[in-house]
Amino acid sequence: MKENAPFFVGYLKIPAKLHGFLIKVSVIIFASFVAGAFLAGASQDDPGKAGFRFDFGRQKLKGVLEANPYPLLHVISGSDRIDAGQTIMLTAQGKSGIMTDTNALNGRVVEATGVIVRRGDLDMLQVLPGQRGIKPTNEASILPASEPLGRWRLQGEICDGKCLAGAMQPGRGLAHKACANLCLLGDIPPVFVSSKPVEGEEFLMVGGADGGMLPRELYHFVGQFVEIEANVERRGDLLVVLVEAENVKVIK
Amino acid sequence: MSVKYIPVQWNPNKWKYNTIMLVSVFAYLWIFIELTPGIMANEGRINGQIHNARAFGSCAFFMLTVILCIGPLARLDNRFLPLLYNRRHFGVMTAFVALTHAGYILNWYFAFSSSSKYETLLFANTSFSQVAGFPFEIFGIFALLCLFALATTSHDFWLKFLTPRVWKRIHYLIYAAYISVVAHVSFGVLQDQQNHIFTITFMISALIVAVLHLMAALHERRHGDQMANLSDGWVEVCDISEMKEGFANIAMLANGERVAVYLQEGKLSAISNACAHQNGPLGEGKVIRCLVTCPWHGFQYNVTDGRSPAPFTEKVPTYNIRLEGDVVKVDPQANPPGTYVEPVPVKA
Ligand code: FES
Repeated sequence: MKENAPFFVGYLKIPAKLHGFLIKVSVIIFASFVAGAFLAGASQDDPGKAGFRFDFGRQKLKGVLEANPYPLLHVISGSDRIDAGQTIMLTAQGKSGIMTDTNALNGRVVEATGVIVRRGDLDMLQVLPGQRGIKPTNEASILPASEPLGRWRLQGEICDGKCLAGAMQPGRGLAHKACANLCLLGDIPPVFVSSKPVEGEEFLMVGGADGGMLPRELYHFVGQFVEIEANVERRGDLLVVLVEAENVKVIK
Repeated sequence: MSVKYIPVQWNPNKWKYNTIMLVSVFAYLWIFIELTPGIMANEGRINGQIHNARAFGSCAFFMLTVILCIGPLARLDNRFLPLLYNRRHFGVMTAFVALTHAGYILNWYFAFSSSSKYETLLFANTSFSQVAGFPFEIFGIFALLCLFALATTSHDFWLKFLTPRVWKRIHYLIYAAYISVVAHVSFGVLQDQQNHIFTITFMISALIVAVLHLMAALHERRHGDQMANLSDGWVEVCDISEMKEGFANIAMLANGERVAVYLQEGKLSAISNACAHQNGPLGEGKVIRCLVTCPWHGFQYNVTDGRSPAPFTEKVPTYNIRLEGDVVKVDPQANPPGTYVEPVPVKA
């Protein structure tokens, strides 16, 4: 301690010699927080245009339900937003896929009511709970046959389709991985975002090679940039990629 | 120094300190939450909850950075000591800002499923064996627990209850918390960043903390107290000409303890250098109104017996002292705290 150095004691008056210094330090601290807020706040990445389309109003669609790998609807009679002939993935509210026993409804004509979640040409219909969301009819139907498109090697990311479609913004990537896993655990359809279009499509529904849901061991790859080699099929106007766990690898 | 425990012993300097820090934190949050959405030329809108979570999370990180800079800055230049004085209030603020961040995350990413959000936080991502996609939330949880352990034990009651030595050890957890936050951010949000401005700001902040600690350690090495010489069982502190009225010289003993030898009213006295409050360096203090005053939080001691003036009860050990010719010497054997030692007059 130098003899003439100012000596600060918390409960006494601040020594006059320290005033200038402490004012400078206070200004620097304040300015750093202001600058930090602008730098961190304004440099956030653009999550892209996506989200719930409550502005479209409640959609009432009729179509043939296909249960696997995840529920989708081949629309027979659409709305002003969804055309007949379109194929749309189905989900329920929150982090849950549609709760109804979809296998029992496989191939049947149902009425689906809900709201659209949309990113570009990726559409998902979030249906209302229970019979208000999915109501079976007695109309006769035939499930459209799927068209095999052969084996493909694709690069991209496995996401949960709902957050990706805009339920969360941003709704993909590694920081979002836990949320995506949780959606997938809730049976929400996973979607592969391909870095190059496949038959003109960027988004493909993902299922297991057995035609069922995404194998659990593949959850480790969610959110990462991966390469997959798998069969691709067309269901209506939607592409589905059916992956085996051993044919997925991370690209560094 | 307190006789009884009240939540906070306020004084004007604490008010000023907290006002400056609170204004800075509010400015940060307000700018981030309210102003930056209008500045970004983004096509899509970030969810309010995610935007807020980022505002509070990044704010907590910058607050923690400031907290960790104060220590080394004060060691390098003691004009920064006033920032140390009320640092714990800023620490408590940081814990609450971090908690708000965690609240937004928990109620957004981990909610809306059929399980409880506290459970989903733990089981949603179990990719512990990989770097990319590692459940970085775990680092955040650990840091938050540390911050709350520190915030709840920050009061002087705990300091006394746990003893300064244990308390200080516990409060080194702040480093574990900071490293954990750095990991939390690095394995989390930085993995997806396309715009690298935040990454750079983040790295510079962490670098400043590291460099300041390194500088302070080097400074300590160069200017730190030397091990004192031992002759006939007594320790040589300094030459009497080096002593200045109202100030101390410090000697380091073989056991690592330090002794502060004060010259007060022409007489020499020796007390432990470690303040009974938080081990502050009493030898870097000053005699104010006949009492040695600690440079950290201003606890005071009578230099002849190492006792705080009534009604306070703090005590530090004293040392026997003698003057051999011009050499000031102390007995390396400390007396029990509060033992009176007759001061040794310095002949004019
Ligand atoms: S360490 Fe707090 S007053 Fe000395």
